Amino acid sequence: MRYNEKELRALSRQPAEMAAELGMRGPKKGSVAKRRLVKLVVNFLFYFRTDEAEPLGALLLERCRVSQEEPGGFSISFVEDPERKYHFECCSQEQCQAWMEALRRASYEYMRKSLIFYRNEIQKMTGKDPLEQFGISEEARFQLTGTPRDGWSCIGSRLDALD
Amino acid sequence: MKLNKRSVAHYARSDAPADHTGFLRTWGGPGTPPTPSGTGRRCWFVLKGNLLFSFESPDGRAPLSLVVLEGCTVELAEAPVPEEFAFAIRFDAPGVRPHLLAADGQAAQEAWVKALSRASFGYMRLVVRELESQLQDARQSLALQRSSPWKVTATHRKPQAPDRCSPAWGNGHFLPRDHSPGCFTEEGGSRPAGRDPVERELQGPASLLRSRGQSPVSPETSCFSTLHNWYGQEIVALRHRWQQRVQGSQPEHERQDRP
Repeated sequence: MRYNEKELRALSRQPAEMAAELGMRGPKKGSVAKRRLVKLVVNFLFYFRTDEAEPLGALLLERCRVSQEEPGGFSISFVEDPERKYHFECCSQEQCQAWMEALRRASYEYMRKSLIFYRNEIQKMTGKDPLEQFGISEEARFQLTGTPRDGWSCIGSRLDALD
Repeated sequence: MKLNKRSVAHYARSDAPADHTGFLRTWGGPGTPPTPSGTGRRCWFVLKGNLLFSFESPDGRAPLSLVVLEGCTVELAEAPVPEEFAFAIRFDAPGVRPHLLAADGQAAQEAWVKALSRASFGYMRLVVRELESQLQDARQSLALQRSSPWKVTATHRKPQAPDRCSPAWGNGHFLPRDHSPGCFTEEGGSRPAGRDPVERELQGPASLLRSRGQSPVSPETSCFSTLHNWYGQEIVALRHRWQQRVQGSQPEHERQDRP
């Protein structure tokens, strides 16, 4: 899968939601924790060597699971392989907590769910669709049902079998 | 630069909601010349949030490509061959070629341009925050309306018997916060330029709650009945003072419209 790496690098230079130097350990067995500059920008988590301007890598945070590990440490894994974990070590449980909360809210899917919730609540309370005034009530991304289109629904299970 | 490609590909194929899908002709990719030429390659595109994936077909197993849609603008474009319905995704990042795409028809072209130009994380975040604050307003407004049994309108008074007063101020009239464009205060239209003393006093409850450090809708507000009582007490006091003023200063069968 090709991706627009230049643009992603440029994104890593944008203002971050959160940034800190943390200990980071990759998912491979036997990997060692290293100090990395970790930066949360939109739904990506970038990580840098502490003295370099270009990111080493990025994690897309959609459908990820953030879990507390040891005190002051958390991990990120993804739904298709929950045991494959990226580990992070913080300097305190407070910092760890702050990062976990931020990462859980960092996905586009989370925002979409929040929006649908708020829209629904406002509609129930006021009888009005709050998106109408902006003229965006029909946009697909704001709809209550996120049903897949055209034969996508079976793809997930088929592919799991192939994997 | 590393990327968790396996997870990304899985997400692309998952049943996570797609914001737009369809066939598009695309130029660029491995084995293609740096300058777009020819008719391009027809692929199945799937937009999920700020991520644009392409597949060989709707049944495609693995995504061919991903375009992360941050820091970009979308505009109509000219294709290398006289191809109608082309558009380009242009990035601010230096040294990055625009991504050229073409739809099958004008409607599809317009739909794609619209969907892609609103695909950024920032746009979604903006709308979420706006709704979040609207929900807060709606909750405050609802709580106040429920505790008050009488009608008072800010700009004009309807003829009423003096002892039957029920307030129904427009949503947001009484809240002392700044109102940004497009927020919840259209109802009831105008706010009076100079607030009359009643309306000024009616600002009491919300700002009083805030000054006591309790937001009406925060998790710390113990329960709805507490909230209800709180507002209720304020309203009772205000009502009493209003009634006194009304009975003392105006004839019973006449109300004056205030500007």
